[in-house]
Amino acid sequence: MADSDAFVRFTGVVAGYGGGDVLKGVSFDVPKGGVTCIVGPNGSGKSTLLKTVSGLVRPRLGEIWFKGTQLVGLSPKEILRLGVVQVPQNHSLFREMTVHENVELGAFLVKDRKVIAERMDTIREMFPIVAERAKDKAGSLSGGQQRLVEFARCLMLEPELVVLDEPSMGLDPKTLRSMFNTIKMMNSVGRTVLLVEQNARQALRMSHFGVVLENGQVRLSGTGSEVLNNPEIGALYLGGSIEETKHVA
Amino acid sequence: MNSSALIHAVIDGVLTGSVYALMATGLTLIFGVMDIINVAQGIFVILGAYLSYALSVHWGIDPFVGLVITIPTLFLVGIVVERAFIGRLKGPEKTAMSILVTYAISLVIEGSLNMIFSVNDVQISASYVTKTFRIFGVYFAYIYVYGFILAAVLLTALYLMLYRTRFGASIRASLADQTAAALVGIDVKRVSTICFGIGIAVTAAGGMVFGATNAFNASTSYDLISRLLVIIVLGGMGSLGGALLAGILMVTLEDIVGVVWSPVWSIIAFYIVLVIVLSLRPQGLFGKQSARIA
Repeated sequence: MADSDAFVRFTGVVAGYGGGDVLKGVSFDVPKGGVTCIVGPNGSGKSTLLKTVSGLVRPRLGEIWFKGTQLVGLSPKEILRLGVVQVPQNHSLFREMTVHENVELGAFLVKDRKVIAERMDTIREMFPIVAERAKDKAGSLSGGQQRLVEFARCLMLEPELVVLDEPSMGLDPKTLRSMFNTIKMMNSVGRTVLLVEQNARQALRMSHFGVVLENGQVRLSGTGSEVLNNPEIGALYLGGSIEETKHVA
Repeated sequence: MNSSALIHAVIDGVLTGSVYALMATGLTLIFGVMDIINVAQGIFVILGAYLSYALSVHWGIDPFVGLVITIPTLFLVGIVVERAFIGRLKGPEKTAMSILVTYAISLVIEGSLNMIFSVNDVQISASYVTKTFRIFGVYFAYIYVYGFILAAVLLTALYLMLYRTRFGASIRASLADQTAAALVGIDVKRVSTICFGIGIAVTAAGGMVFGATNAFNASTSYDLISRLLVIIVLGGMGSLGGALLAGILMVTLEDIVGVVWSPVWSIIAFYIVLVIVLSLRPQGLFGKQSARIA
């Protein structure tokens, strides 16, 4: 079996909430070192898919492999220990805690205080806002600033895979550009990024790989530019449907 | 109006109110982290009082020294209760169901205490319970001061644990957003279990002071739980600072109204204040939507 060859491999993942399945047999690979963007209309199962990676939703069927380790059945904490960190869709900072406390909590699983201090220094250099607003309550930051602090927090664990759920949600165009640049920066320092984005065109433009989900199934996959330039993706976003699965890669 | 009586009312309000605040802190911590309304908190206070009473009567152990035994004992009781009953509550009806479950637990403990200790009132006795000192022309039993110091020490320890330790940070994070807490590696279930244990453990101290300053039996818990619930509602559900302020406010107001007006109106005056505060601030004095420890 070639599961250990893929960085992340989804094989026939079926998952949902209560009695209904949102994901209906999702299969694709996430290559190491790149940015993989999942796009698709509302309700296509994008966020649910990411929750299966981080352990928040347990698939009913199928497998999710990360560097040869089966993630299905592991707790969020165990998945974090493997180096998979998720930034959820809604702002997830602890609003009444300071920026410093929030970022430090990103290394909650690290016990060595010296290591935590070293990582804090690195993060302050990468994200100046962490130093500038260290003592401010996280809830006092703007939406874009909160997103940056969430990114900073997720890097405290030095993850191999960063999972981002609609990071652009609620951001103005200027902040949006800055946010996408930050994602590129995270990728450039060695993090593989798997993200879900509503802002599909902009996200695919900066992604190495793209996956289109529709009705809980992969309808299209390939390089970012291939997916972006596929004429049928427009139809999908205008409410149409791609009639058959196409692997353009 | 008798000025010394007024001074007595204010001092008593601060001293006794802090002990109520300690008892209510456990309740508000449990609600804040777990969304559990523990209506058994009153009977746990009485259980703590009976444990101190039994240690004092049967083994001659000083009630304050006995806390070395009763606090860990009630912490373990809390852990067992959480694992056996509370931790099993899930879903959107969790909070409502918690009232029924903890009420059932309360009835079982009450019945057991009645069988063991009978329904007759008892009171914890020690030299400092009856011995008094004079301040501003008013006499106070030493137990009130000792109880205040105990509450202050425990509340400070609780504060330092919450704001100066990693475990405290994990509690505050769990309290603010359980999903986000899980995503940074916090074991929210373990944090909940320990919080429930801590919430019950503080009743050992509160119960000991209550039992030394009041005659009690198992049914005294009904009056206690109504007061404790009112304190955390007034202070803001989940707010530790709110519980402290509301506890002191409740007893002080009751005492002052009792002196200035009539003891009959004491508790009514407090409820009037509660209604006024809640009509202006439905979330209580320090209650917040997003994060509930203040």
